Amino acid sequence: MPERPFLSFANVSYHAGEHLILDRVSFDVFRGETLVLLGRSGSGKTTALRLINRMLEPSAGTIAIDGKNIAESNVIDLRRRIGYVIQEFGLLPHWTVLENAALVPRLLSWPPERQAKRAEELLEKVALREFSGRYPNELSGGQRQRVAVARALAAEPLVLLFDEPFGALDPITRHEMQQLFLSVREQYQGASVFVTHDVLEALVLATRIAVLENGKLEGIFTPHEFVQAQTPVARAFLSTLPSNLKPGPSANG
Amino acid sequence: MDEFVWRALLRDVVSLTMEHLVLVASSASIAIVTGVGVGILSTRHARVRHVSILVANVFQTIPSLALFGFLLPIPLIGGIGKRTAIISLVLYSLLPILRNTIVGITGVDARLREAAVAMGMTDGQLLRMVELPLAMPTILAGIRVALVTNIGTAVIAAVIGGGGLGVLIFRGVASVDTTQILAGAIPAAALALGADATMGLLERKSRWR
Repeated sequence: MPERPFLSFANVSYHAGEHLILDRVSFDVFRGETLVLLGRSGSGKTTALRLINRMLEPSAGTIAIDGKNIAESNVIDLRRRIGYVIQEFGLLPHWTVLENAALVPRLLSWPPERQAKRAEELLEKVALREFSGRYPNELSGGQRQRVAVARALAAEPLVLLFDEPFGALDPITRHEMQQLFLSVREQYQGASVFVTHDVLEALVLATRIAVLENGKLEGIFTPHEFVQAQTPVARAFLSTLPSNLKPGPSANG
Repeated sequence: MDEFVWRALLRDVVSLTMEHLVLVASSASIAIVTGVGVGILSTRHARVRHVSILVANVFQTIPSLALFGFLLPIPLIGGIGKRTAIISLVLYSLLPILRNTIVGITGVDARLREAAVAMGMTDGQLLRMVELPLAMPTILAGIRVALVTNIGTAVIAAVIGGGGLGVLIFRGVASVDTTQILAGAIPAAALALGADATMGLLERKSRWR
């Protein structure tokens, strides 16, 4: 692992009114890494993600990307440099697949030919080239998510954020999407943060898994360490796996 | 009636229809610009929303004949003539346009809006690329209602010297002349139906899939 973290949380807290949603969370993500935030609903994992593109602002602590405190950057520029994939509802219904994929380059005022070229290149990558003229409601759920992935990658983002993107898909499509994610991941130089409550998904995708519970970080594990972890929430997640399918100690990230 | 009378009536119908159209077109365009503009502002500032809806509601509840009457004695905007007529027609058309603009924009799925903001859209881009296109059918529906009502209400403008097809109708009523009443009423109804059909077409065209 390289020395300097690419994305770092230092004692980050977030309050919503009286409620403490995140409590002094610290972690580092390195280039080329996928950090999976694993936790049950309400554990604060989505909040942590939304602090990275400043859809929320922390009450305390600092978040830095490539050594720069994001609170000091222009919020619009920051968001355009961060790819964001959410579950459903992300695509503009009145824009074609190609237009959706080219959204961020368009916001960045790339020349139109370059926008289209880049979008086509990415649709090729997610195997949706022949769907470029369609509208989102003419696609299946899995195809829509592939457009969302293409869109997130379009402007060569520093950081990729995934907020339970595959949660609503059937298991086979979800598996295909996870494989797509892994292949995209191989060529991508930045850092990724992936939120899920699906322990299998976490084990498949993560280079490291950060377990969150009630806004606190319980621990950070490689998948290999995770399956042997003794902390309560990690154990609770592992106990949901059928015993004959439980990943053995030979599993690696 | 001999041919001479028919000719004269036809000439009146044509020129008064044009006058009617001018009344409607000028008041509707002012109402559209103001209604949509204030509507957009209202979705950004709660206070503007409360005040604008309240004001538009008040104007809407005043009977149209009374609104024309109210404006007459007011200096600058009042008095006999077209200007007063146009101003009252504007006030009368504002509510449906304003309300539908607000409803259309605030009706855009909050999660979609949030995703667009998270991609790095500025507020202006959000409005132009997401909110207005998605709200367009609703906004056009408001303009449709305003326009059709406006064509009907403009008939009453004749009472305060605003001209238009109402001139024929009121003249016909005063002289108990059914032909004149119909000569005013039929073109007015045709204008309303035409506007309704055209707006309906535009509304359907603006619908995204």
